Amino acid sequence: MPILDGALKVGLDHYLYLSAVLFVLGMIGVMMRRNVVVILMCIELMLNAVNISFVAFSRYAENVNGQVMVFFVMTIAAAEAAVGLALAVTVFKKFREVNIRFFEHLKG
Amino acid sequence: MNPTTPMDFVTLKDMLSIAPMAVMFLISMIPLLMKPLLGNRELNPKTVLLYNVGAVIVAAFMTTTIFGPSFGGKSTAFANAIVIDGITVWMSYLVYLVTGVPLMLAYDHVATRGRQFTEFAFLMMSSAIGMLILIMSNDLIVTFIGIETMSLCLYILVAMSKEQVLSKEAAFKYFVLGSFASAIMLYGVALLYGTVGTTYYPDIWVGVTKMITTNRMFLTGIVLVILGFAFKVSIFPLHAWTPDVYQGASTPVTAFMSTAVKAATFVSFLRFMNSEGYAQAPQLLTVMTWLAVLTMTIGNVAAIMQSNFKRVLAYSSVSNSGYAMVGLIAAGFGANYNGAATSVLFYLFSYTLMTLGSFGLVALFEKNENTSLEVTDLRGMGRKYPWLGMALTVLMLSLAGIPPTLGFFGKFFVFSAAIEQDMYWLAFWGVINSVISVYFYLRPIVVMYMSEDKEAEVLPMHILTRGAVILAAVAVVVLGLLSSPVYALVKKSVVNLF
Repeated sequence: MPILDGALKVGLDHYLYLSAVLFVLGMIGVMMRRNVVVILMCIELMLNAVNISFVAFSRYAENVNGQVMVFFVMTIAAAEAAVGLALAVTVFKKFREVNIRFFEHLKG
Repeated sequence: MNPTTPMDFVTLKDMLSIAPMAVMFLISMIPLLMKPLLGNRELNPKTVLLYNVGAVIVAAFMTTTIFGPSFGGKSTAFANAIVIDGITVWMSYLVYLVTGVPLMLAYDHVATRGRQFTEFAFLMMSSAIGMLILIMSNDLIVTFIGIETMSLCLYILVAMSKEQVLSKEAAFKYFVLGSFASAIMLYGVALLYGTVGTTYYPDIWVGVTKMITTNRMFLTGIVLVILGFAFKVSIFPLHAWTPDVYQGASTPVTAFMSTAVKAATFVSFLRFMNSEGYAQAPQLLTVMTWLAVLTMTIGNVAAIMQSNFKRVLAYSSVSNSGYAMVGLIAAGFGANYNGAATSVLFYLFSYTLMTLGSFGLVALFEKNENTSLEVTDLRGMGRKYPWLGMALTVLMLSLAGIPPTLGFFGKFFVFSAAIEQDMYWLAFWGVINSVISVYFYLRPIVVMYMSEDKEAEVLPMHILTRGAVILAAVAVVVLGLLSSPVYALVKKSVVNLF
């Protein structure tokens, strides 16, 4: 059954599609959601989607560099989450809610 | 991270190449460690300033001594991940300048001096270290780490103003959009890694020559990485954060962001574009040309409509990115990379001096952290403060590109680099935009000298800020008059070492 073979055998393409879908979901989330914490989660989702591509490329090209890069990206994602949550706390202190609908002071 | 060279142990040369930034980091740690050891009492701001400016000066001195002739021209370190060449050395000096001066502005400024100046100064130094990584990186993943180190510190710096509403909003906007752009750039890096096999710049350039017309995935990667750079230097579709963040941040931080971040990112962008292969993709050239044209035009037209002086300068910084992009396109898609790259570097120098001086002047006018300086608030200043009025006049004329100043020569070299590559369309729009921009650059001068309604307010006696403003104005005139020897000097270092 050649059709089933193509569907069941997981190759590089499948990982790349998964990564692209997760990345786009993260992008949509950042653009559509109003809650600060959900936006942060969506940014993490985007970074981790990229990690899937790195690992998949690294595995299929048999080149270990990509997996080393994932460690760097994970470190940076952690730092980014720390900074983002700290900012969310200051936003909460000021507006008593973590929502971006209060952001209307800067425009023009 | 070139797989063909075996990973050696870290050599002495590797350590020497990063010695300036290591020393800068270690010295800037001292005040941060002293604070908890002395019972979490805020240190005297003067001590903090002395340590940090001292660190910058020591690093500049080390750059001069280490990267002298004995270092042996262009070389790479850490298994080719970083490269030391003329551009690195030149831009290091620029980063030292634009870190030291905003630190002094922050020392004087009411919104940043106070309870957390120790942390503030440390974050500014860390951000500068990110920039130093960025300008010497020779590998996409190192570039990404440099950009993130620089930006993560900046997000906190923007939020650290004493002002409570605008700065928090600006910081969060900058954080969300900045992380979004970084993630997009990282996806581009992943696609380039997948198609080329490494992230090392020379391999990417070879890949550009081979694959840019044939491999869709590679082209997508290139476009996503360019988008990431474009966000950081506020190129048109990704420029919307610039005025908001520049207005919301405290003025010393704005001075730092608008000069250092832009210059460092542009240099990295310039390195990325160093391949003859880009000329095979005319559709990419068309898109980037239109982005440059729209960036210039939108920046200038929007600046005309602003009344807040910081927003005027923010939109001016957007349009200046457009001018620098003209040189960048000439470098990436033209035949003469070195010539056009020199013009971009020279332009970045001139832009940095002018913008630093202008924001220094804005900082002088802010009596408390909630002041927002309107252009009309400058009334009568020209007569009351003749020196500062003169300095602002010179800086504005230079930004507008009036002949004997540095700003004119910066634009002149960039546009002539474009004309040399037969990109008349870009040069044409550049010149048209310079004419449009004269209107809003001259308005502060007119307000300052010609309107008599109100007596100007008393400005604080901030000796460091005043000194920086006047020195910037003097440098703009003197370097403008000496522009051809300076240009020759920049060119020599670019050609010899690139």
